Amino acid sequence: MIKINYIALIKVVTVFFILLNFVSCSSDPDSPGLEYMPDMYRSPAIEPYVDYAEIRGRENKEIKLKRSAKRPPYGSIPYVGTDSSTVSIMMPYNRKAHISMKTTHGMYDDDLSEINQYDLAVSDKNPLKLTLENSTKIFEEGKQLFNSNCAHCHGKKGDGNGPMVKSGAYAGVPNYSNLTNLGDGQIFYSIYYGKGMMGAHSSLLNKKEIWTLVHYVRKFQDPDYGNFDLNDASNLEQ
Amino acid sequence: MKISSSQVLAIFIKLSIRAIIILFIIPSFKSNGQGEALFKAKCATCHQIFKDGTGPKLYQVRQKWSDGGAKENSIILWVNNWSKAVAADPYAQQVSTWSPTAMNNFPDLSKDQITSIFDWIDSQEEVVASAGPSSEVGAEDIDQSSNSTWIWIILGVIFSIIILAVGGVRRQLQSTSLEIDGGKLEEDLSYLDELKRLAWKYRKTVAISIVCIIIGLVVSLFLTLYSVGVVENYQPSQPINFPHSIHAGVNGIDCKYCHNSVNKSKSAGLPTVNVCMNCHKQINGNTPEQQEQIQKIYAAAGYDPSGAGKYTGETKEIIWNKVHQLPDHVYFNHSQHVKVGGIDCKQCHGDMTKMDETVKVQSIQALNMVEGNIKLTKPTLTMGWCIECHGAKEISTGSLDSKKDGYYDEIHKRLMDGDKDLYRKYLEDGKVTVKELGGWECAKCHY
Repeated sequence: MIKINYIALIKVVTVFFILLNFVSCSSDPDSPGLEYMPDMYRSPAIEPYVDYAEIRGRENKEIKLKRSAKRPPYGSIPYVGTDSSTVSIMMPYNRKAHISMKTTHGMYDDDLSEINQYDLAVSDKNPLKLTLENSTKIFEEGKQLFNSNCAHCHGKKGDGNGPMVKSGAYAGVPNYSNLTNLGDGQIFYSIYYGKGMMGAHSSLLNKKEIWTLVHYVRKFQDPDYGNFDLNDASNLEQ
Repeated sequence: MKISSSQVLAIFIKLSIRAIIILFIIPSFKSNGQGEALFKAKCATCHQIFKDGTGPKLYQVRQKWSDGGAKENSIILWVNNWSKAVAADPYAQQVSTWSPTAMNNFPDLSKDQITSIFDWIDSQEEVVASAGPSSEVGAEDIDQSSNSTWIWIILGVIFSIIILAVGGVRRQLQSTSLEIDGGKLEEDLSYLDELKRLAWKYRKTVAISIVCIIIGLVVSLFLTLYSVGVVENYQPSQPINFPHSIHAGVNGIDCKYCHNSVNKSKSAGLPTVNVCMNCHKQINGNTPEQQEQIQKIYAAAGYDPSGAGKYTGETKEIIWNKVHQLPDHVYFNHSQHVKVGGIDCKQCHGDMTKMDETVKVQSIQALNMVEGNIKLTKPTLTMGWCIECHGAKEISTGSLDSKKDGYYDEIHKRLMDGDKDLYRKYLEDGKVTVKELGGWECAKCHY
């Protein structure tokens, strides 16, 4: 009598453990699964978006689950080739954000200014000169940049009626044709540091791209902007 | 008094201008048509009616000012030139501290125009946002499925206990019945002996089933080995339930806005929190679920949305789980594929405008269903998949310099100078594929 119960007990326990094994087979959902040669999978050199707390069995607790994307060191200048006109455009921006942008735009790590440099920027000229040769290319580039970075709010026609506004998610986007009294430098400043609800786009666009966009935005306000028609061209040649 | 014809004309013009004003402009004051147009042109960039933004909400703002003890007409003066109002009225002084952003001056707006704006604003009625579909359906599903596994385990345990108990009772009954019959048991058989005897009795069935089990094991071993390194449908959990369908679908944001480095760099790039805040500074969610998720962005950005909204400077990281992982011994470059190759994101990532869950590695079946994709057969993110596409995708239809982007001009020149026959062979099917320019060479991706 006792013997039978004992065996039954062992069986129950065994079945339970076998079932438990099946459960543990449903693997960790945050693991991509089995790999052939893990030592060839992870780069010892720094790669973007990879947690470097554990490399080749060594664990560094200090950097575990810390961001891998960081701002470049203060004052660093991107290498953009040796063309002097491009280099001068890509040098760090001389205008500083206003001190109030600390709380309105989160610029705690930036050099800020007590003076409102947005007003001073009205006199800044676009260093990307439009000529007969480059204007088509600049407007084409501007269109691509505008459609992927601006059009969802500002609208493909620059009327402040992009899909974000149409869907009712976002409100308060100005129509460019109401802003004709802005200087080129002020448009640049607003894209670079943001203005009102709009955030800074300096992390998304480099200075040359922003100046290209300034040309493209001007085109919304004045369809003749940057038009070199045949008469003008012949004038230039003379 | 003599009136010349030119004077008559002048009077007539004056009168007709007045008539136009009376006929058209004055009624428009009453219908607030001017108020709406002016609000949209002048105010709407910073002010919303029912929600604080760059500027405070404007619904019944005159009431608020008079309740707060502001002087009469001081709000009109504020709109014309806010700093004058601050000097004249202590309440305006207090209002000016609401946000560090200074309001624009509108000296060209007349008192009537400003009144018509406020009249129009106060005539609006707030539409309460209806609760949208819950975004946490996925999470509930996962919970339910893990609950159901436990139910199955418990049921299994109960059933096996019942079977064993019944079996034990049966054995006991058998032995007692044998004892009662007076017949001695052949011997006291253990379970194992009984099993052996049974197996011998049905030896054919046992042999066939053993063969079947072995074949099954071998097949499943190979299937397991083939699935090593295949990550189709891998969908890790994410710190924020980010629905691509709302961002890229409903709101039409281009993929390249957030994944900004995609045509400049090897990796497509995850948006930094400041990019999220470009929109979410204003958008804080319609449903409690959305608000909870967006609150996580605010926590990461160090943003306090109350009042005018304020960055506190206390930021923290959002730790996303990487979804598309390639081993280190493979080199893949997004800019080469997107900018030079002109491949659309959906070729490898599927139609994200319809993806309302967190991101997963799309299966090849799902990718093949997307319109405009090159149809492939091998599982997503495996080498076979890459190679297959490199064999099928054309670099150019026609000669390489027909693309006019200059990128392939050099190799076009070298082929023309060096090996025209080879070039002709490439162009036999009317296109030059990636494979023909070395897309199948090992060292293109492994080095």
